[in-house]
Amino acid sequence: MTRRRTLVAAGLLACIAACAGVLGLRREGSRPFPHRAHVLANVACTKCHAQLEQDDGKGLHVPDDATCSSAGCHVKPHDPRPCLGCHATPLALEQLAEARDHLAFDHGRHLPRTKGNCMRCHTGVAEGDDHLRPAMATCFKCHDHDAERDARRCDACHKNLEDGVERPASHLAHDGDWLHEHGTRAASSADLCQTCHQEKFCASCHGVTVAVLPATQHFADPFTPSVHRAGFAARHSLEAKSDPGACQQCHQPERCATCHLARGIAGEGRRSPHPPGWVGLTAADSAHGREARRDPAACASCHGGAGEALCVSCHKVGGVGGNPHPPGFSSRVRMTELPCRMCHTVGR
Amino acid sequence: MKHSVAIALGFVAVATRSAADPLRLRADALATTRSPAGLVMLEADGEASSTMSAEAVVWTAADPLPGEHAGDVLVIALRARTKDGRASTRVGRFVEMLGAIRPLQIDGAAGRVKLPQHVTVEAFAGIPVVPGLATGRSWDWAAGGRIGRELGDYGSVGLAMMEQRDAGRLVTEEVGLDAGVAFGKRDDVGAKLAYDLANPAIADAEITARHVHSKEMRFDVYAGYRAASHLLPATSLFTVLGDVPAARGGVRMTWRVAPRLELTGDAGARDSDADFAPAVTARARLALDDRGTSALTGELRRDGASDDAWTGVRGAARIALPCALTASSEVELVIPDHDRTAGGRYRGQVWPWALAALGWDRGPWHAAVAIEASASPEARHRVDALVSLGRTWGVK
Repeated sequence: MTRRRTLVAAGLLACIAACAGVLGLRREGSRPFPHRAHVLANVACTKCHAQLEQDDGKGLHVPDDATCSSAGCHVKPHDPRPCLGCHATPLALEQLAEARDHLAFDHGRHLPRTKGNCMRCHTGVAEGDDHLRPAMATCFKCHDHDAERDARRCDACHKNLEDGVERPASHLAHDGDWLHEHGTRAASSADLCQTCHQEKFCASCHGVTVAVLPATQHFADPFTPSVHRAGFAARHSLEAKSDPGACQQCHQPERCATCHLARGIAGEGRRSPHPPGWVGLTAADSAHGREARRDPAACASCHGGAGEALCVSCHKVGGVGGNPHPPGFSSRVRMTELPCRMCHTVGR
Repeated sequence: MKHSVAIALGFVAVATRSAADPLRLRADALATTRSPAGLVMLEADGEASSTMSAEAVVWTAADPLPGEHAGDVLVIALRARTKDGRASTRVGRFVEMLGAIRPLQIDGAAGRVKLPQHVTVEAFAGIPVVPGLATGRSWDWAAGGRIGRELGDYGSVGLAMMEQRDAGRLVTEEVGLDAGVAFGKRDDVGAKLAYDLANPAIADAEITARHVHSKEMRFDVYAGYRAASHLLPATSLFTVLGDVPAARGGVRMTWRVAPRLELTGDAGARDSDADFAPAVTARARLALDDRGTSALTGELRRDGASDDAWTGVRGAARIALPCALTASSEVELVIPDHDRTAGGRYRGQVWPWALAALGWDRGPWHAAVAIEASASPEARHRVDALVSLGRTWGVK
């Protein structure tokens, strides 16, 4: 038994080792820049990242090969290729370029205040290349942006955000099941959403004049979130019946009938969609009452509007269906308005 | 429709006449063998100044389904705000979201003012949008407001109310309560509750809480309660039925096992009229590069109650190719527990669905082609093609 466990453990370890590159545990090709080794060797940040004092907002201040080999540091490069081609991850350099394009920041104004100690902001630099850019929370340690935050003004620091490339990851994380949670999360701070999202973003799902759903519009990207992803058309009836009212969160009840009629799934020439025993003389023989109480929106999709007259032909005091009101029913709808006046013809 | 497009573009053009910032235009065309066969969408947005901006999205479709419309306006909105951002307004067609009240697309106006003591007052009024550029509607209107207060840096609460009338008749009268609170850096809670005043009862309630255990692991707990009849217009006969509320709840765990591998497990349950059903999802996502441009995902789902239960498997891949190309594929297999026959029509025991696509995204151009194949309760087998082409313009 012990030997078997050992073999299983060894097998798992071998699998993880074999997949280390794929899982991101081991970076292939390039490796993170050894910032820690340089700091321990007492190399000042500004020795390599030169000209920070004259920050023009354009350069990345990343040292080139000449900087590495200057002052006798790396006099005999072991490889003819550029140093940062191997000693820096490509993603880190891309992220620096993005930060430069989308952040209004002046290193020159910060250096005197930090007395040249870059680690006060770049706290994660010793851990590798993943956290070269400080988190937004780091800025708030010194900068009080209460006025901008209250006014939801991001453009004091963030620029060129409209193309949707860069979003401050520490600002708001849309992780987890954001698709289902966003309504609850956004309820108390819709204005925060509007700092990044335009009107069309909300309207593309919640609008009643939507031309095409995001999943269809971005059909070539299977990671575009949408409740109507993949084979939704096939399973939508099951999802609707299992989660009563889910469709009505966005759609009008008549949406079902409109689409089914248009596609020839319902309407003239089609049999009733209801199973045998749908309507009977007693509650035990009649399945429609339970289904209607469970998901009245499903009934309203076909029997709404003028079709409701069919229901009140039985469901009335003295009728086969009896009083449709449950015990304790109350409503603020006037008796002279629909649906009350369908039965209460004299407003009583 | 031509008028709508002209109005939309004119709206934006006026707003950007004196702009130094770019005016952005985008056109997308989508063609599919599944109706609508052709669709053209035009988008434009621009900023006249730091305090005024405009946005418009219109579309027109060729060969729409019978009963559907050949074109419409999704958004035409003009936004203005004060320099300090304490007051803002929107005019035009947009989706209004007011705390716990359901989103509503309106033609109208909305405004927000931030008062001292971290109090925010919002209000809107307008005509609820109906598809198809309908005219001749009278006494259709909706109005509402919300008052909210921020609780320091850690939360906010709000109370909203909305009334909607259709031809003068009361359709919706709802009050909503929303709250969001963060407890330290690791825990937070969001909740909302909507109460139907027309037929007094809770219409909808949701709560979700999150605990961030570490950078790699987080837990979510969620619960909801919904009375479907209270989501219907108050003019519907079905609002007078003794409805059976549905409730759901569950817990979700997200675990980044490795820098590129993320696992998600969701175990929940639903209860509706004594139909108790589990809702379980397990998902794995593997990024094939540090940015996640190429990625694989696999998902297993079990959902539905009694004879509506189903089991589903989904897999998807997106691979970045040279020359700005992206290949993607998505496969789903749904197995309903019961191969019910509806209206004497056999619905099938397995519903497979698959899509293979090739995308191209270079500079301002975006294009994609795809083949979609499926078997569903509607069709034993079906193959469709999709093509899209888009371009973005930035005008200085």
